[in-house]
Amino acid sequence: MLKNYFKIAIAVLKRRKFFTFISLFGISFTLTILIVLTAFLDHLISPQYPDTKRNRSLYITVAQMVDDKKGYYSNGPLSYYFLDKYVHSLKTPEKVAISSIFTPTNTYVNNKKLVINVKYTNVEFWDVHDFAFLEGRSYTAQEITNGDRVAVITEKTKLAYFGEASAVGKYIETDNVQYRVAGVVKNVPITILFSYGDMFLPYTLAKTDRNNKEYSGMYTGMILAKSKADLPRIQEEYQQVVAKVPLDGKEYNKFYSNADTYLASFTRTMFGKEQDSGKSKFIMWVGIFALFFMLLPTLNLININISRIMERSSEIGVRKAFGASSKTLVYQFIIENIILTLIGGILGILFSVIILAVINNSELLPNVILTVNVTVLAWALLTCLVFGLFSGVYPAWRMSRLQVVAALKAQ
Amino acid sequence: MLKHLFKLIWNKKKQHFVLMLEILVSFLVIFAVFTMVVYYYKNYRKPINFEYEHVWAIQYQTEGRPGRDDSLMMFHDALRNQLKAMPEIEAVSFTSQNVPFAMSSTQNNIAYEGVRATGVNDYMAEDDYNKVLGLTLQSGRWFSKADAGQKYRPVVINETLKEKLFGNKEAVGQLVDKESANPLKVIGVVNDIKDKGDYKPSGYGMYRKADTGAYHWMRVMLIKVSPKANTAFEGRLYRSLSSYLKNATIEIEHLSEKRTSMNNFTLVPMIILMIVAGFLVLNVALGLFGVLWYNINRRRSEIGLRRAIGATGQSISRQLVSEALVLCTIALIVGCFFAVQFPLLHVFDMETGVYLTAIGLSILFIYVLVMICSFYPGRQAATIYPAVALHED
Repeated sequence: MLKNYFKIAIAVLKRRKFFTFISLFGISFTLTILIVLTAFLDHLISPQYPDTKRNRSLYITVAQMVDDKKGYYSNGPLSYYFLDKYVHSLKTPEKVAISSIFTPTNTYVNNKKLVINVKYTNVEFWDVHDFAFLEGRSYTAQEITNGDRVAVITEKTKLAYFGEASAVGKYIETDNVQYRVAGVVKNVPITILFSYGDMFLPYTLAKTDRNNKEYSGMYTGMILAKSKADLPRIQEEYQQVVAKVPLDGKEYNKFYSNADTYLASFTRTMFGKEQDSGKSKFIMWVGIFALFFMLLPTLNLININISRIMERSSEIGVRKAFGASSKTLVYQFIIENIILTLIGGILGILFSVIILAVINNSELLPNVILTVNVTVLAWALLTCLVFGLFSGVYPAWRMSRLQVVAALKAQ
Repeated sequence: MLKHLFKLIWNKKKQHFVLMLEILVSFLVIFAVFTMVVYYYKNYRKPINFEYEHVWAIQYQTEGRPGRDDSLMMFHDALRNQLKAMPEIEAVSFTSQNVPFAMSSTQNNIAYEGVRATGVNDYMAEDDYNKVLGLTLQSGRWFSKADAGQKYRPVVINETLKEKLFGNKEAVGQLVDKESANPLKVIGVVNDIKDKGDYKPSGYGMYRKADTGAYHWMRVMLIKVSPKANTAFEGRLYRSLSSYLKNATIEIEHLSEKRTSMNNFTLVPMIILMIVAGFLVLNVALGLFGVLWYNINRRRSEIGLRRAIGATGQSISRQLVSEALVLCTIALIVGCFFAVQFPLLHVFDMETGVYLTAIGLSILFIYVLVMICSFYPGRQAATIYPAVALHED
């Protein structure tokens, strides 16, 4: 039966090539955009090198400090002191990585300026992440306590500063300080904010924030749990700790901070309000955008489909006259539509592979490689089916209500 | 005539419903795009009013500065003199984080006789700040040594803020924030500068003279260099800065580069949006074209009959085009109802004029689009021979 529908669908598609072109163009283009966007979202949300354990990680990125009487409000990253004292001491987590927000520094090699983004980290930063070391190793806990001037640099920095030759053991100078290179890692995409840097240094070498006993500073924390099931327990434990943070002698009387999952840590900065992470709000907005975006091509498709049924009124009339029920006809038309959208979907996937390749090659986003992965593909296929269903149901319903006599008379 | 066309469409309202819905949605999409384009273009047209070529912003993160006020001042004076002694440097000013084309902004509220301006960009400036950026004064004067020891702290405001607070009245010499503990005396009005990028409005702005307390947290300076200053000089400058500011993290940025990246922040999403909207419109146009063309083929006998009783080809094609236009007018009326809500409810902080221009442009755009799409099918219909068309039936 399906084979039959398929044959009919192909025959119909061949009949009016212009309409087929419009339908396929609409579907494939819409899908291309959706696939490119989901590939980007997927790149942002799902675990990526070097932050591959994202599924069992929690992120402490900001704290809000509020004085509701004086109207004081401040929102920002935390200090090393706070993270070390209150987060590192949590009992449930396996590891806690503490790293600074990257700061750009300048260095001048051979009359060329090089901007190196520096990130200061603790030793667990290397355990929580899965950095791929091309050369050498990370710095040790001993080196951090000693305040040794050692650095881990990325491949990009190595190439710009040392060229092709091995860099381990050599000295790199930035900000007028010389550091011994301990290791070279694969480049980190800038979209992974909490892990991004061109050069990683022990936190004991940080020029600022060292004697900072305030709570706000320039560091963020990343908690690695033993298993995914531990995440809610860690969040709960952290909330208990935050509730007990002493606020004597501070200019604020309320202190909020959350250990969030990766997505929630971003949505909180955009949509969050006090205790609500804003994740559901974010998903709602993305959904509304996608729906609205798909609305136009779907309407277009419905329009074309309505026109196209009339072309087939005699076929419908004959089938009805021989006893086909409305249900069968609706069923057939929807299947035909889904076949059409699937063909459009395949084209769309082809187009998006091309577009993603162009984006990757254009270096629009440094170190970011976007791919059509299984998740994205699954989303695309689902969208295809929804498309086919949406744009098929209304015309099919209208078609099935055609009177046999009227349908046969039309020709 | 119009009434007749309307009736024709009304009779087939069910069939036309989806078509109208499609035009309505396209109108809303086009409206959104045009609103942004008009808004950015309006800002782009305004003069930038300051110099960004050969101006560098130097950030220095340090904790190694003297804590006491007087020694802190001496520390900065010495640094300023050392920099000014370099032949490549023309002017130097310490300032707050919100240098031109920076992401960070500092905002404040300010009031004058009951008028209150919120979200005023608050810049910390020194006597040479206007020389570094080449600011142009409308009236009054910039800060100078004469300001020391005055009763009120001097402030220079920009044109937009002056218009908000004083209207057409003279602003120079007036006191603002009178009710507060430290009123400010307006000593000058500068022309608006577009320091948030070419496509962003300047907004309210006020420049306060840096006082002793401000130096404790100021971590940026702006320098104007001569065109001769190259990377070799930059390297030299960097080294001399880091030998003076011990243990500091220093970054030198060029305002011209910051401007490009700031503009890209606006332009890249805009271009992506326009590409997407362009494809959507193309999609809709093709669909519209197809549907209209198809409808005409179905109405061959009707058209044939009209031709037989004397209608010219031109009047046939005119009828079909105007039918499409009436159809789209109905959709546009509904669309305008939604679009007008934006200026009425002040959904986004934009002038009403921007919305109205955008509505006008979108209406024009949709009409042109529909006309183009219906023109060819209309022409096709005009060539129908009555004998052939009537014979078919």
